[in-house]
Amino acid sequence: MADKLLEVRHLTIGFEEVSGIEKVVDDLSFDIYQGEIVGIVGESGSGKSMTAHAIMGLWKNGAKALDGQIFFEGQDLLGLTPEQMSKIQGDDISMIFQEPMTSLNPVKRIGWQVAESLRLHTSLPEDQIHRRVVENLKSVGLADAENLCRKYPHQLSGGMRQRVMIAMAMVCWPKLLIADEPTTALDVTVQMQILQLLRKIHLEAQTSILFISHDLNVIREICHRVIVLYKGKIVESGYVTDVLEHPKHDYTKHLVASIPKVREDGRREGHMLDAKHLNVYYHVRGKGMFGKPVTKHVVQDVSFHIREGEILGLVGESGCGKSTLAKCIVGLNRHYDGSLELKEAHPQLVFQDPYSSLNPVKKVGWILEEPLRIQGIKDKKKRRKMVEDMLIKVGLDPSFANRYPTELSGGQRQRISIGAALILNARFIVADEPVSALDVTVQSQILDLLMDLQRERGLTYLFISHDLNIVRQFCHRVIVMYLGEIVEEAEVADIYDHPSHPYTRLLFHSILDGEKHMGRVTDVEQKSEMKESQGCPFYSRCRERQERCKDRRPASVDISGGGKTPHYVKCFKYSKTGEKVDA
Amino acid sequence: MKKKRNYSLMIGLVMSGIVLILAVVGQFWTPYDPTGMDAAARNAGPSLAHIFGCDNFGRDVFSRIMNGMGTTFFVALCTVLIGAFFGTLIGAVTGYFGGWLDEIIMRINDALSAFPSILLALIFISLLGTGKYNIILALGILFIPSFARIVRSEVIRCKELEFVKSAQVMGAGKFRIIFVHILPNAAVSMLTAAAVGFNNAVLAEASMSYLGLGVQPPEPSLGLMLSDAQAYLEIAPWSALFPGFVIVFIILGFALVSEGLRVRQSR
Amino acid sequence: MKYILKKSFTLIITLLLVSMVTFGAFSIIPGNIAITRLGQNATPERIAALEAELGLDRPVAERYVDWLLNAIRGDFGESYQYSGVPVSDLLLERLPVTAILTAMSLILILVISIPLGLLAARKEGSVIDTAVNLLTQVTMAIPAFFLGMLITFVFGLVLKWFQPGKFVMPQEDLAGCVIYLIFPAIAIALPKIAMVVKFLRNSVLSEVGKDYVWTARSKGNREGRVLVSHVLRNAMIPVITFIAIVVAEIIANSIVVEQVFSVNGVGRLLVTAISNRDYPIVQAVVMYITAAVVLINFIIDILYQVVDPRVRTE
Repeated sequence: MADKLLEVRHLTIGFEEVSGIEKVVDDLSFDIYQGEIVGIVGESGSGKSMTAHAIMGLWKNGAKALDGQIFFEGQDLLGLTPEQMSKIQGDDISMIFQEPMTSLNPVKRIGWQVAESLRLHTSLPEDQIHRRVVENLKSVGLADAENLCRKYPHQLSGGMRQRVMIAMAMVCWPKLLIADEPTTALDVTVQMQILQLLRKIHLEAQTSILFISHDLNVIREICHRVIVLYKGKIVESGYVTDVLEHPKHDYTKHLVASIPKVREDGRREGHMLDAKHLNVYYHVRGKGMFGKPVTKHVVQDVSFHIREGEILGLVGESGCGKSTLAKCIVGLNRHYDGSLELKEAHPQLVFQDPYSSLNPVKKVGWILEEPLRIQGIKDKKKRRKMVEDMLIKVGLDPSFANRYPTELSGGQRQRISIGAALILNARFIVADEPVSALDVTVQSQILDLLMDLQRERGLTYLFISHDLNIVRQFCHRVIVMYLGEIVEEAEVADIYDHPSHPYTRLLFHSILDGEKHMGRVTDVEQKSEMKESQGCPFYSRCRERQERCKDRRPASVDISGGGKTPHYVKCFKYSKTGEKVDA
Repeated sequence: MKKKRNYSLMIGLVMSGIVLILAVVGQFWTPYDPTGMDAAARNAGPSLAHIFGCDNFGRDVFSRIMNGMGTTFFVALCTVLIGAFFGTLIGAVTGYFGGWLDEIIMRINDALSAFPSILLALIFISLLGTGKYNIILALGILFIPSFARIVRSEVIRCKELEFVKSAQVMGAGKFRIIFVHILPNAAVSMLTAAAVGFNNAVLAEASMSYLGLGVQPPEPSLGLMLSDAQAYLEIAPWSALFPGFVIVFIILGFALVSEGLRVRQSR
Repeated sequence: MKYILKKSFTLIITLLLVSMVTFGAFSIIPGNIAITRLGQNATPERIAALEAELGLDRPVAERYVDWLLNAIRGDFGESYQYSGVPVSDLLLERLPVTAILTAMSLILILVISIPLGLLAARKEGSVIDTAVNLLTQVTMAIPAFFLGMLITFVFGLVLKWFQPGKFVMPQEDLAGCVIYLIFPAIAIALPKIAMVVKFLRNSVLSEVGKDYVWTARSKGNREGRVLVSHVLRNAMIPVITFIAIVVAEIIANSIVVEQVFSVNGVGRLLVTAISNRDYPIVQAVVMYITAAVVLINFIIDILYQVVDPRVRTE
């Protein structure tokens, strides 16, 4: 066995409050060996980030080490002066942060920022520093490194910025790299690339990595060992495969199995929604007084339907037009053409962010009563009663009516949002990423609630999500969107077993669903800007592209071969009869 | 994390309370007649009888301050009310609906706020003439843009938030959304702005009256008192210094209130 | 280059608009000018004669074009008050005084407030921070004219460091003028120093919690270096905009402070002109202040571009 690089002993971190000491991390002990990737998993507030920051010597918001030691190569980091610590920071230990969009200094050039650690920790001459910077940028997969050095962060995409962050962290060849949720803010396909990059760096430089994440699938993908943190304490640790296959602690079991119950097929005849050749536009006001308003064509010629009682999943990366389509359906965006027929007059919307979806200055009761007032129910007592019933229905105590949203947790708020959507007995709900802002355990509770309500009331859902695992468990049928177009549509089982469009395949191969995928997907280019081109929208990223894809658009074809459930794909790889044609 | 006592708000409220009470009482009762001249007490220094001393005409400075504050507060209050009412209306409507009207109003707003407000007030006064009501009109109009800007930015911020979207989905009308859903969220910012605006109004009124372009004698006003007393700064400094300190006291009080409100909001 | 051309164009448009609005406004006041000069009981014939003499009987548009053409050549007409004296002479005589006063105030503000603001932010919550905070709170509450009076009283009358009212024009004695203007400059600068210190301190404090600052710390930057080489430039971005407002307020306060210290600057000229309804002078001073404010905003805009790369890419 290799040597111990880091030994954390009885680490206790907390805040000193007037009312006493509040411990956030409690008596934590673990080791990281040379050349090892260790993951820490836990929900928000479990103390995982604070532990990472403590090892890095960063103390936010007055957090303090109350007890314990952190030995790095035998030296106790907590006993060092700030001066001694700063010699280690960025040199022997370095860090990648969660938010690539805000973690780089907006007014400094990339080259300067990457070079800074070298300037601080080495006495290399400028030309060598520049060489090292360029080498590092190249090694993290950034082309045209020379030019990149002169750019500013706002000129780069999120994925590129995270690569810059990694280059910056690696420039002094640290012994330990701390990665604090490095892929959480990124799209699934980009997440895959960044994980591959970290793995490559690990193999090449033998750097040990401490990987913090709330996502068990990410941990499974990259780590050797895992530590499960719950409310500041280690509840379980060991080799990743052992922990995941035989979880012992309740919380870990919950984490591993945080997937809702199997649904029944309650679909009925008849369509709740019918969209034909739907085009949705997004108006951006012109700049200045005389600027022309810009119209963006966000959803292009989309046709689909939703059956009554059906849960239709809608997946795709950010910017593909999912949310714009949702807004159009509930009537928030009236800039569309084509036909859109709905059986429900007032489809309701459940939003992603439980923190901004409830008016912060109004009480919960007022918020739930508002739809009733708007619909003209004048009887105060009747409204109160309906609110009370609804609170019970969504699993909350009626006393919640007197609370303000700020006093509630994310999950409770999302319950209120669902209640507000249902209080007028809407039969059709559009749920736009309703659980992606929540912790894993809360996610499954909210999904259970949605499922129960669906079964009980025969509701129809359009369920928008970027989490393909949830869609698989929750939905009957799935639509995949790319740059405003539907590229594939099929029953859940069909699409997950036989993803057919090259984009769907890329998307599904980027999911971390338990099996290791590393190496199977080769790197793809960054997503290009949406352009009004004649060809296939996926052309620039497609690995199976052909000459004709460049300037002609494929039509949608059914590839089920006359099966009971159609499976539509928009790709030239399939002939009009749905057979696969080889180029 | 730490819950500190909001001293700014507490001290500010006490200070503002004292001056407000003095000003209100000063309209009905003062220790001496504010315009009554006492030749024997000309330029008399502070004493038990005249705690702030007497001015060049032998008038009791404290009584004049109590009475003069009324004028100052009346001007400031009217100004803030005019500014807040029209500013809120304009800001809410332009912020929510946007479009060319918003563009035009905001450009005018930008242009106005780039100019020092006292200069604009001076231009207004040179057009309207001096006097209490002209001052109110001039300052009131000048304060509309700053309120409009604050309300507009709050409305624009809230407009994109999901709770507004969900109100739209529920079928709430535009004006219901603006006035029932959005504006209560802007209340604290508006209150803070009103406190700041009140201060600016006190300051502007005092400055204009000092320059002889505001409230006209014999009506008492703090700025006017300072202007009258400046010539006697060497012989009777109290008749200039005390009204000045009172102005500072008033402004400090309201500034602390607005600071305290902001702190309270950010918690 | 294109940017500067575009900005210069807006500058000219702004000046034109402001001149039009003020000229129009001053013209719609009924009969004021003649009455001011001839007294309340002047006969209508005399008023008409005077209006004809001043050219006030012609249409507003015509008079405006005349005025504009002359103004471009630097001729702003004659003062009503001092008949026969060209407005431009009056203005040119006083302009240097106000320019010196404004510049002195601005230098005072920048030199004192930037280090003080950084210090207050660096030592957040310490005695220095609290003291600076308290001082800013109090100085911000003192109106400029009262501060001027306090300074006159303390330094002029009690300590006798300068003689109030003994102002000399720079044309006569430049050094004497600058020395006299020190105290008025302090009266203008002190409240603004407080404002800038407070603003910079808060701006720095709102930056230090941001993600990129933690990145900088994680690289092994000491706190002082983090502040100087990472935070300062980001924190200056809002401050620059704020300075533009401060400069406009310096100009405004100079109007009042000149009055307090009997400084014969543009501000005093304006106040006298307003009391006398001497509109040619008011109009000219308004144009001067407008030009100054617009020009300052122009400079600030360019500075902004230099500091913030995000607004540069066009």
